[in-house]
Amino acid sequence: MTRHTENFSGRPVSVVSPDDSRNVMRITLTRGLFFDLFIALTSGLFFSLIAVVLFAMVTTTSLHEFFHQLRSPVVFSAVWISLQTSFAVVFLTFFFGFPISYLLALNHFKGKAILETLLDFPIVMPPLISGLALLIFLSGDGLAGRILNHWNISLIFTKKGIILAQLFVAAPFFIKTAKESIGAIPKNLLAASATLSASKFFTFRRLILPLSKTGILAGLIMAWARALGEFGATAMVAGCIPRQTETITIAIYMHAMSGNLETSTALALVLMVFSFCSLLVFRAIFKKKRENGYYA
Amino acid sequence: MGITLENISKSFGKHGILKNLSLAVAAGEFHVILGPSGEGKSTLLAIVAGLLPPDEGKIFIAAREVNRVPAQKRGIGFVFQDYALFPHLTSFENIAYGLRTGSLKKKEIRTRVDRYLELVGLADHQNKYPDMLSGGQKQRIALARALATEPRVLLLDEPLSNLDACLQEQLRTDLRMIQQKTGVTTLYVTHNRADATALADRVSILHQGRIERTGSLKDIFREPETQFVAVFLGVTNILNARLSSLNENTAEVCVIHPGLKQNLKIKVKKHPVFHREKEFSLCIHPEKIRLRETPEGENRFLGRIVRIEIDGDTLEVMVDISGVKLKAVMPKTSALPLEKTVWICFEADAPHPVCEGCNRHPDYLRDCRCRIAGK
Repeated sequence: MTRHTENFSGRPVSVVSPDDSRNVMRITLTRGLFFDLFIALTSGLFFSLIAVVLFAMVTTTSLHEFFHQLRSPVVFSAVWISLQTSFAVVFLTFFFGFPISYLLALNHFKGKAILETLLDFPIVMPPLISGLALLIFLSGDGLAGRILNHWNISLIFTKKGIILAQLFVAAPFFIKTAKESIGAIPKNLLAASATLSASKFFTFRRLILPLSKTGILAGLIMAWARALGEFGATAMVAGCIPRQTETITIAIYMHAMSGNLETSTALALVLMVFSFCSLLVFRAIFKKKRENGYYA
Repeated sequence: MGITLENISKSFGKHGILKNLSLAVAAGEFHVILGPSGEGKSTLLAIVAGLLPPDEGKIFIAAREVNRVPAQKRGIGFVFQDYALFPHLTSFENIAYGLRTGSLKKKEIRTRVDRYLELVGLADHQNKYPDMLSGGQKQRIALARALATEPRVLLLDEPLSNLDACLQEQLRTDLRMIQQKTGVTTLYVTHNRADATALADRVSILHQGRIERTGSLKDIFREPETQFVAVFLGVTNILNARLSSLNENTAEVCVIHPGLKQNLKIKVKKHPVFHREKEFSLCIHPEKIRLRETPEGENRFLGRIVRIEIDGDTLEVMVDISGVKLKAVMPKTSALPLEKTVWICFEADAPHPVCEGCNRHPDYLRDCRCRIAGK
């Protein structure tokens, strides 16, 4: 029941009488219910899918089988190669990536946008293509290949090749995160540092590094996780030589394809534990950051 | 250790912020630059500090040109509006930051920091992080940090504007005391008149990228010279006028006002500005207006009291002379009732001309022939 009154300009205005208010409430409530149900259903479906898939993989193996597989040299070598290469990547990423993030975060120069686009490229490009490009670049007839051949350095089908492939794919993640985190330092803090006679290096050591610490750590973890899970580029550059260039991911693929699901599953579980740990550390870092109360 | 700026210009894109600005701050002086928000006060300070390069012009600190000297080496202390304390360092470490850049020994740093913590009265807060400090405490630490390096020049960018009125007053007193104690040349920019009143030896009014007036606040307030300065400083009773006759020592002007119901002529002491044909403005300070029941003085008009406000020990009375409203100040004891018709009296030397042309334009473009006080 709607009454019509007139407002000051003489136009009719609908007014809901008190009797109607309950109906109106119910309509909005049912509308809300449908919406809430939709949200609950979709998110429920999604999360149960994740849980079911994880569960399915865990149930293909037993604890006994898992530990048995862990002790096998195939699994051990794959895990060892993966850890070696991924940590080397983390180290190199920090060493080469940090100056780049510093440059991009604090300087304005011509062509900066081009550099930033180049940086995004390895992120959006399928790793397989990155790998192919690297393979062509490093192969005997390639641009770098000839020079490397001259010095008798071979990167293709070696661990160094794996590191290079992983670095190519993973470093932009670190650089971007570190850049964001350095860029988020309020500019007036940098100005304040300058007015206090601090040199660039002093400012870097005493101000920029401590304030972007958590961002750098998070970036390194992201780069590590990315390097560990890298498949396409690594496979392209390093091939799949068992016990030499076989990382965890490549081993999972090779064993699964040859029907050896037990080994694949064991390796997959190891990788999952690593991923989960890095996720935990990542979350812990960001929780600490929030508690510290300042953005780093 | 003075600061001299010569013809400083700065623009961001097409937007000109500072236009040929010149300024001289004497050694040991507390100089306040007063201007509305967004008129380039902070830009000016950043240029002096070396955080921004000027497009044109020269900067001298202690008689040495510092245009090419980076901020790190200008020997300045800077206090920011939002404190800019380092969040990961304690109060002590914040103050010590600038000292660690030099070659001071640990023990010397300790004594120096303690001294400045003492000076700003926060000795027992040395281990607190900025997060744990109140706004006023943060600004004190920021001040101590800037002073601890014992700079030649202290620059403050609206340091009190984020604090509540009570704290502002307290910090102003402290700031003035500390400046006098240390004797550091200080350049302070603000939009707040109260800061200028409490702190400044001299004040410069910044308007449209130029210094429109420099002097003691008292002088500027008494003779604002330009309408902008008058309005910005809260000078009331500004009348638009047109000259009607000029005598040897006096002039007669006709008040033009949109709401004026009758012809209003005022006798005024002759000022050079009156050689001008165009309209001009006069300001009469409220203290110079007397409200009487019997007429006296050279100018006397009948008017009506339309508003009375108590302001401390005095009464602010608004009177209406056939459409023109004037503010007068009188002691609380002389109680005049609202709506009463009174004589509004003032002497011929009470009204003072304010001119826009003198400051805005170079000589050859001026449409006025005034030579107001000292120009």
